[in-house]
Amino acid sequence: MTPETLLAVRRPSDLQAEAAFKDWLRQLVKGTAALRAFEAGEIDAVMDAESGSAILLPEARAALQGSSRLLLSALDALTGEVCVIDAAGTVVMTNRAWRAFVAARAGAGLGVREGANFFSACADVGARERVHADAVAAGLRDVLAGGRQLFRCDYLYHSSDRDCALALSIARIVQDGAVYAVVTRESISERERVGAVRSWGRADESRVAAAGRELTPNRLLAALPAREYERLLSGLEPVRLNYGEVLYEPGKPMRHVYFPGDCVVSLLTVVDGHRALEVGLVGPEGMVGSPLALGITASSVRALVQGTGSAVRMKSPRFLQEARRSPALQRAVLRFTDALMLQATQTAACNRFHMVEARLARWLLMTRERAGSGVLHLTQEFLADMLGVRRVSVTSAAGALQRRKLIRYQRGIITIIDQQGLEAAACSCYRRVQARGLETAM
Amino acid sequence: MARKRKKPGPGGGVTTVVVMRLYIAGAAPNSVKAITNLRGICRQYLKNGYELEIIDVCEHPRRALADGVLVTPSLAKISPGPTSNVIGNLSDTSSVLAALGLAAGAIE
Repeated sequence: MTPETLLAVRRPSDLQAEAAFKDWLRQLVKGTAALRAFEAGEIDAVMDAESGSAILLPEARAALQGSSRLLLSALDALTGEVCVIDAAGTVVMTNRAWRAFVAARAGAGLGVREGANFFSACADVGARERVHADAVAAGLRDVLAGGRQLFRCDYLYHSSDRDCALALSIARIVQDGAVYAVVTRESISERERVGAVRSWGRADESRVAAAGRELTPNRLLAALPAREYERLLSGLEPVRLNYGEVLYEPGKPMRHVYFPGDCVVSLLTVVDGHRALEVGLVGPEGMVGSPLALGITASSVRALVQGTGSAVRMKSPRFLQEARRSPALQRAVLRFTDALMLQATQTAACNRFHMVEARLARWLLMTRERAGSGVLHLTQEFLADMLGVRRVSVTSAAGALQRRKLIRYQRGIITIIDQQGLEAAACSCYRRVQARGLETAM
Repeated sequence: MARKRKKPGPGGGVTTVVVMRLYIAGAAPNSVKAITNLRGICRQYLKNGYELEIIDVCEHPRRALADGVLVTPSLAKISPGPTSNVIGNLSDTSSVLAALGLAAGAIE
């Protein structure tokens, strides 16, 4: 930096004034004596070799200190932890919260002290944190190099015998030609934390970004009080459910209960050992295996995955135990069971009284709601099973909906193109079940 | 303007003369303090056995740069060797004495 930039950094709003100034001084002065004197306020002038002149500091310094004092008190007032890193990775400024966190965690979780190098800290972590620290270092490097303005990621680390998670964001700022990164660090809240820590074992770069945000998309679980949810977590295992997978067979024990994330599971009643009819549809609003809460261990239905996606599952004995312990879980499961029963009775009535076209419309809407997508992968055979009709009836019903421009049906892919029109075409059962579902979710 | 003061020791001959240069910036507060502090130290510990040159870097920046001075106030001991430096307003007497090669106890 040149003296001109020194004058430039005197702007009161300049965020990095003090840091930039020290930086400049560091480049100018070899050894620590001058820096110490500067910090003690004992320097009056700095010689600038380029211009061959002396730069008087008192006024510059007063302005600098005035602005940086304001800045520092503003930063200190923030509850989030903030530090400023220069282009070389040196932490040139920290706020009070950051310092407190460094002191409390003895440097764990990338708690880098002022004056230390952030990259070195990333390189020094243990094997468990390696992948996370590498991602952070790469992100910081990218931000400093101008590859991106902002990098966000979650960071999982181990401190005081606990797994901890924090959300880091690294923003790029440029001041008088010098590049800095502002790092803010936030502890991930308890519930998020546990979710993030669960994914620890399978951490990779893309997961690092997703971890912590990986709140359960299952609404039944999400509605539980935080403490109860947290207790369940140790028994929950993330799984991927694939289209066509059978979770339960009628009469067989239910080994797990499933809480769908973004997958959809059909509950089918099997008639005469082969023909099936859908009696319920479960997505992220509920669970599969709710009869367990009533003490029923064998399934009465076939549970068939009809929309691929993620879910979490729990072993049945553990679920039983948790349901006994937690009134909130019990209540949630019973409410959902009630909604499911309504769905089943409504479906039974619907299958008996309503036209296939209206039933198909209802079924597509219900599936869309649960799958969270208007594009559904469904064969006509499958639809025939779901609706308890012959395949040819499905063909004609789908054709009718397509002619009305409500859906598009092409080679096993149904796209809902007019949601409102489809709702109008659906039988009243859809609105009844939907209204009850909303009530249950309250 | 370089102010020069020379005060040879009264008896002559045996007393070592400490040669120093103090670089200051006009009448800036630390510079004024540094002059006052150094005078006090000289009076107390060196009596008349010193030679002090005070250089104002605002008037003689090139001289300061040529001498390798980067910040002021800055005190340089030229002789006897080895040379040494103290940066700041010289309020820490012991570090000034150490730089001048005068252990506090050995003087009196």
